[in-house]
Amino acid sequence: MMAIAVKLDDLLLARQMTLTDLSDRIGITLANLSILKTGKAKAMRFSTLEAICTELNCQPGDLLAFEPDG
Amino acid sequence: MPTASPALLGATRGLLWLFLGLVTVATLIVVAIGGSLAFAWPDVLTHFKDSGVFLDVTTARAPLCFMMLLFLAILVATAYMLRQLQALVASAANGDPFAPASAHRLRRVGWALVVTQAAALPIHWISSRIVATGSDLGSAGGLSLGGVLAILLAFVLAAVFEQGSAMRDELEGTV
Repeated sequence: MMAIAVKLDDLLLARQMTLTDLSDRIGITLANLSILKTGKAKAMRFSTLEAICTELNCQPGDLLAFEPDG
Repeated sequence: MPTASPALLGATRGLLWLFLGLVTVATLIVVAIGGSLAFAWPDVLTHFKDSGVFLDVTTARAPLCFMMLLFLAILVATAYMLRQLQALVASAANGDPFAPASAHRLRRVGWALVVTQAAALPIHWISSRIVATGSDLGSAGGLSLGGVLAILLAFVLAAVFEQGSAMRDELEGTV
């Protein structure tokens, strides 16, 4: 597992929003958002980050966290 | 992403099948000539004496047999190369030209071209020694600048495809 954690679940929960809602609003497929949410993505485009931050009104640091092993 | 024109790919596919057919016919002809040299030498010898193509007909049998073997090697390598090209075209038609297998296929095309060039050299050497001047057979084989460039092109393209495949792998999993 990568040491970068994606906290999309927490942000969606705080905003009472589903992944499908977010997908519809930012135009990124549910499958890709699901990959991102489950931490299976290897990389993230700045455009995706911008779209999520704009929609969820958050900073990149609210979405991503560095969690080193041990 | 722009994809190759289906008409162009279709035409390439057709041409590759046509070439493969021609290679098959040429292989049959070479096998037939080789068979005649091996099993019907007296008749062939009479025919060759009348044609005036060879300098010394009586000693031409062994070099000619060896030449037929070299021609056969060229034809087999060419057929193998055409099959690899067919797979490359199929991969491009499926919208996946930078598959890791494409680089391997291009490298195999390069090696097949090396075989054809390597076999063409002794063919020229033999034919220039057994065939009388003025005959078409006397100019067979030899080093071809186009052939050497094709070898270089195939290996360079293989390296490019390898890089493209690695870059595509990097992009996979990007959201």
